[in-house]
Amino acid sequence: MDFNFGLIWKFAVPLAQGLGTSILLSLICMALGSLLGLALALARSSPSRLLRLPAVAFVELFRGTPVLIQLFWVFFCLPLVLGFEPASFTSGVVALSLFTGAVTSETFRAALRSIGSEQRDASVALGLSRWTRMRYVILPQMALRATPVLLSNSITLFKETALVAAVGISDLMSVGENISNSIGRPVEILTTVAVVYFVIAFPFTRIVTLLEKRLLRKLAL
Amino acid sequence: MSNSFKSARPDPLLRIDAVYKSYAKGAPVLRGIDLEMAAGERVVVIGPSGGGKSTLLRVVMGLEQIDDGAITFAGASYVTVTGRRTRIDARVRRSIGMVFQNYTLFLHLNVVGNLILAPCKVNGESRKTATARALTLLDRFGLAEKADAYPSQLSGGQKQRVAIVRALMLDPALMLFDEVTSALDPELVAEVEQVILQLAGQNLPMIIVTHDMWFARRIASRVLFCAEGRIIEDGPPEQVLGSPRTERARDFVHRVFHIGG
Repeated sequence: MDFNFGLIWKFAVPLAQGLGTSILLSLICMALGSLLGLALALARSSPSRLLRLPAVAFVELFRGTPVLIQLFWVFFCLPLVLGFEPASFTSGVVALSLFTGAVTSETFRAALRSIGSEQRDASVALGLSRWTRMRYVILPQMALRATPVLLSNSITLFKETALVAAVGISDLMSVGENISNSIGRPVEILTTVAVVYFVIAFPFTRIVTLLEKRLLRKLAL
Repeated sequence: MSNSFKSARPDPLLRIDAVYKSYAKGAPVLRGIDLEMAAGERVVVIGPSGGGKSTLLRVVMGLEQIDDGAITFAGASYVTVTGRRTRIDARVRRSIGMVFQNYTLFLHLNVVGNLILAPCKVNGESRKTATARALTLLDRFGLAEKADAYPSQLSGGQKQRVAIVRALMLDPALMLFDEVTSALDPELVAEVEQVILQLAGQNLPMIIVTHDMWFARRIASRVLFCAEGRIIEDGPPEQVLGSPRTERARDFVHRVFHIGG
């Protein structure tokens, strides 16, 4: 048995393209997922049951089922709902955004709950309207508190995108799998793929730690 | 009521009529508070914990719903109750400023940011003029070099002084201080009390809840002793603090002076 890591250079271009797809997918899903998560978190903190209950149901459903099943589910359901077959990339975006929304809603909700009632009292005493209080006091503090966890979430999401290989999206994982199957060199190729995931994800984890230390301590949040 | 000597005073600044308040769970906190306060007064409220002092201030600030009663401010209807709904006139509320026991600065904004938020967003003042006013006020209270600091970089005493200045930015006609030195280390108390004394010197009407009897004696023009949701004594400081009429107040004042002093 021998290892030949030199051969991976022949596949640098397709692997890089796969990585590009993985990163693009992560960025889009993180952005859409965060928006959805914010909306869900606000809905869950609403006094209205009509808003709260569907949000709770959605979040628990998507947090409590495997992402792979969600991917397949959206992949097979979306054409029925839409009446035409969307690109598999679109299905991937929808599924992972829904999942990310469920996860980040918990992040936002925790951040929202950590803001003390004294911030509301002070806002009212200063005559800030409900909207001004939300926009200039509550949301900024919530965003700051949520940022480190959101970055953590996005690392998780980036690794989770490897699952989209299952629905035929040519991400890093899928490209790696195809190459390794066709040349029969799973160890070299899959190790390389793992290293690439790590090299991208690791600096992010460091940034998260730094942010937590610097920013949050500075603001004593 | 209308014939009592109190309402014979011209135009009370604040008038509280039979205010009752209970929280969702538990006993009533305010059980019929009546109070008339003239524009020149500095009212200190003392009394045991849980006696309703802080709730009274929160009601005057318009932070709480009440069960019954009414409040007028400078002749204008301010807090009213119809059925189970409390209506609080937000416009009237703007004339009242409040500083709390807990630090309530906005943690994500620096000192100037804290000061100008309400003037800009509520009163529509321009950022530039609000900032200029903020810097002038900070300078007057010895906080000029803290203009760019974040709340976490301030001592407890500085935070409370900034909170006071933040309320002053809105030019209040009445200031409420709710145990503003209670959370402070002892050596930081004086600097905050000094600021309040400075404001008293400018005849700013205020209601102060405090456990610091020496400060109370120094600043009050009138002292209320509050317990079990009622005002039990009401008079000049030398009387309520010096020779209280009721047993309750006598006990309380005696204990606080001897422990706190």
